Amino acid sequence: MRTADQLVAGAIRRGGPAVGVLAVTSVAGGVLALALPYALGRAADARSGGWLAGCVAVVGLLVVCDTFGVWAGGASGARASAWVRHRVLRHVLGVGPGLTRSVPEGDLVTRLGMNAEEVGRAPDAAITGATMLIPAVGSLVALLLIDPWLALTLVAGLTLIMLVLRAFLRVSTALAGDYQEAQADIASRLVDAVAGARTIAAAGTAAQETRRVLSALPRVRAHALELWRVRAQAGVRAAVVVPLLEVCVLGVGGYRLAAGDLTAGELYASARYVVLGAGLGSALGYVSQVARARAAARRLVRLLDECPAPHGVRRLPDGPGVLVFHDVMARGLHIPDLTIPGGSAVAVVGRSGSGKSRLACLAGRLADPARGQVLLDDVPLNRLSRTALREAIGYAFERPCLVGDTVADAIGPSAEQAAQAAGADAFIRRLPSGYATPLADAPMSGGERQRVGLARAFAHGDRLLVLDDATSSLDTITEHQVGAALAADRRTRLIVTHRAAMAARADLVVWLERGRVRGYDRHDRLWRNPDYRAVFQGEAS
Amino acid sequence: MRAAARVLARAVTREPGRAARLAAWSVAEVAPSFVIGLALAGAIDDGFGAGEPMVGLVWVGVLGLSWVVAAVGARQALMALAGIVEPFRERLAAGVVRDALAGGRVEAAAVTRSNLQVEVARDAFATVLGVLRSFVFTLVSVALGLAALMPEVLVLVLAPFALGLGLFLLSLPALARRQRAFLVADERTTEWVTVAMGALRDVTACGAEERTGELVGRRIDEQAAAAGTLARVTAVRTFALGLGGWAPVLLVLAFAPGLGASPGMVVGIVAAVLQSLTPALNGLVEGLGVSGVRLMVTLERLMGDRPAAGPDRLTPPDVRVELSGATFRYGPHADPVVSDLDLTVPEGEHLAVVGPSGIGKSTLAALITGLVQPGEGTVTVGGVAAERVDPAARVLIPQEAYVFRGTLWDNLTYLSVASESRVDGAVAEVGADGLVQRLGGYQAEIHAAELTPGERQLVALVRAYLSPARLTILDESTCHLDPAAEARAEEAFARRGGTLIVIAHRLTSAMRAQRILVLDGAEAVSGTHADLLRTSRLYADLAGQWDPDLEQVS
Repeated sequence: MRTADQLVAGAIRRGGPAVGVLAVTSVAGGVLALALPYALGRAADARSGGWLAGCVAVVGLLVVCDTFGVWAGGASGARASAWVRHRVLRHVLGVGPGLTRSVPEGDLVTRLGMNAEEVGRAPDAAITGATMLIPAVGSLVALLLIDPWLALTLVAGLTLIMLVLRAFLRVSTALAGDYQEAQADIASRLVDAVAGARTIAAAGTAAQETRRVLSALPRVRAHALELWRVRAQAGVRAAVVVPLLEVCVLGVGGYRLAAGDLTAGELYASARYVVLGAGLGSALGYVSQVARARAAARRLVRLLDECPAPHGVRRLPDGPGVLVFHDVMARGLHIPDLTIPGGSAVAVVGRSGSGKSRLACLAGRLADPARGQVLLDDVPLNRLSRTALREAIGYAFERPCLVGDTVADAIGPSAEQAAQAAGADAFIRRLPSGYATPLADAPMSGGERQRVGLARAFAHGDRLLVLDDATSSLDTITEHQVGAALAADRRTRLIVTHRAAMAARADLVVWLERGRVRGYDRHDRLWRNPDYRAVFQGEAS
Repeated sequence: MRAAARVLARAVTREPGRAARLAAWSVAEVAPSFVIGLALAGAIDDGFGAGEPMVGLVWVGVLGLSWVVAAVGARQALMALAGIVEPFRERLAAGVVRDALAGGRVEAAAVTRSNLQVEVARDAFATVLGVLRSFVFTLVSVALGLAALMPEVLVLVLAPFALGLGLFLLSLPALARRQRAFLVADERTTEWVTVAMGALRDVTACGAEERTGELVGRRIDEQAAAAGTLARVTAVRTFALGLGGWAPVLLVLAFAPGLGASPGMVVGIVAAVLQSLTPALNGLVEGLGVSGVRLMVTLERLMGDRPAAGPDRLTPPDVRVELSGATFRYGPHADPVVSDLDLTVPEGEHLAVVGPSGIGKSTLAALITGLVQPGEGTVTVGGVAAERVDPAARVLIPQEAYVFRGTLWDNLTYLSVASESRVDGAVAEVGADGLVQRLGGYQAEIHAAELTPGERQLVALVRAYLSPARLTILDESTCHLDPAAEARAEEAFARRGGTLIVIAHRLTSAMRAQRILVLDGAEAVSGTHADLLRTSRLYADLAGQWDPDLEQVS
């Protein structure tokens, strides 16, 4: 059982030797910071060199501690977050797409980004926060030793600061909401307009559009200035509290000086201790950073607790690629028995929501059925090793997401051959650097992206291809070309489609209705059924 | 870097009144820096130490008062700062909007990113301007205060301070480089993580878990390395800071008494250094080292490739389209998208363009409308280079029809000034009367998301129909309509007069044209349907496999 604290502890351990350096320099720095005002005061009083030499030593050590501390804080954080990121990333990739049902993609990005960073800061926050207590609490003690009344003044003042800060935080979040809303208005207008960028560029109406999009600017400015005002107001209160405390201490201490109970140097030291004592606020800030790190760790542990689907160890025997659904029951889909003959092209059609995509998911084990088995050449898919499974089955999707350094990398082995079969070769060659174009520099239309996705599928599965509506954005001509390439293919092909032309070219058609197989026959025979024809008419838009 | 500095200077000088107010209130804000040394020395030497506690209290009171003045000054200065920063933010935001609209191939995600960068730039600008101002005023104020108290110590304080500042400024370029490298590495990691998380299904389907883990892991390692390097350089900076902040204190303690300073004066000077000068230096270092670099990087991003203003637009005498040897490619190593194309479309012709997607049909439309320029060859409309033609002379309706938030009327008359009867006529001609009725008349507020893609295309078609342009280019702009609605709209345009170029989505649409241009990647042939069946294999292929029964539903 992994817990958040174990992850935080692991992150601290993985921070490396820098964590040790950080601990030593922080403790030493805290003690030195506490000693400094006293030494400075004494040196100001004394005309002898002893205290001065002490000051030089304290200051020198303090600068060295600060320097190493800054390095150690940064270095340990970098290493710790990298460790957390690697670990969570590998785990998430292992668990796969099922994870996005409970945690949306954007949230996964946040967890791997910001949350991992926060956990990585745990060593720095915990150590610095703990050691900052030394000068902060120490100054209270020092003040108590010098004069209890001064200490009392300080405590009262600190309470006041905390209240000011809390009030500021509450108000500002409410107002920040208004500000963000006004901004979101501009952003959404802009997103609309960007969708029509070609129309606008062609019509030369950019200036007019800019004005329209920016019409909310005055509102944004009003909210922004309101935020500044709140910030300024709180700044005033916060900025006067510490100095006024200091002034009070100076006044009270002055009388003690006049009475001969304090030296000028001690008076100065008291004033410095007020400033140092106010640092308790920052120490508490570190406590909240540690709390954030733990909360972030909890969010990450929730990901680590998701179990990857177990794979078997079997390899696939030689075979034609017969796919069998046996007594399969899954969310919204029930298939008692269905056999896709090896080497055939079988289309899957049905209205939206009839279970086509679920069937495609199960065919290549992107998900497991709640009951029953899916077998490829007599081997249940969950008995296959992961490598055997993925080498045998290639997938293409309606909206493929491409991953890789370059276009060729995203397609996979023998990219060019696969791209030719998918009708993608010509347009890839027209990209700025052809196949070597980085994905980020290769803007693609929906149809182009689909063809790269098809090429990737061709390059991957050597026994079964599953195409989940993967030609929906292609124009008639390209679809014809891809259809010809598919027809010439010798692998088993399962083709989810809503186009009659695609179904007509297939050897057989699985007609799904409300999660069940309504018909399984050749397209021309099914076509006689008006219900079947209605499946396609419904999709025309 | 220099360009960014210019932008900042302009942002300040653009608001001279606010800049003056900022300066004036800054003087109030740094009052304690001037007072603190004098007040402490006076309170101790003339007051408490001299057996005159009332005098001491007065000096302490003066110090307290100066803090109150400072707090009020800080508030007003912050508001003056806001008055400079907010207009700056607005200009950046407007720039983002302009660039996005002028840029053409922009994605919504890029827009969101730019908006975030504007916020980052605003915060960074406020910080940089704030710390620079605070540093300069504090330095002057402390120097004046010390000069009033004991001019002899000025050199003890300012010489080592200047040394530390110099060291920091020397290290600034290296620090800026590291900081920038880190920011870039951080962004790249986020980008790759975003891609990988969006592609979990595909990664599993391809069995690419290790490969993806390796690709993203490499970015994570690069980011960690950049952070480590940054930590080292920051440590060096901390050292310089320590030197500049502490050396003056030690020198004052060692030598000021010898120069005749009383204990009160020593305390006053040390307090002025530690409570005013050192925090100001700290703020400067932090502000320039982190926010300054962040500001530079984001400004460079935001203003990176802003297109230059185009030449003056000309109204051509007619709209005869001529392409001669026109070639267009996306990169020097890329195959051309449009290659050595010769084409003449006389005014009044109805031309259809067919070919597989990605073959360059949309690029042809972009060339004719001047949205892109040919690398070789020429594209002219009525003898005028396409990019210089007045937009009012031609209208392009792309596949993604543009509908903005506003009334239906505003959307329909976007490119024209038209009477209601003319709009009624156009709506009826194009076949959008059902849509107008469904929406509840012209004054209905519409939004892209509440219309189907086909309805959006009808709005765009009526808009184009109403425009005064004599050259109309429909770039698959009827692809979401059913074949009957498409036929009705295209026939309306054919009757409307002027030149009509249709990038065809369906073959039926091509067959309505007087002439058909077939692009197959290697060459371009044109002719009538009957000609092409003989001369173009691709076209014959297309027509051969084309089955009206099936196309009905494609």
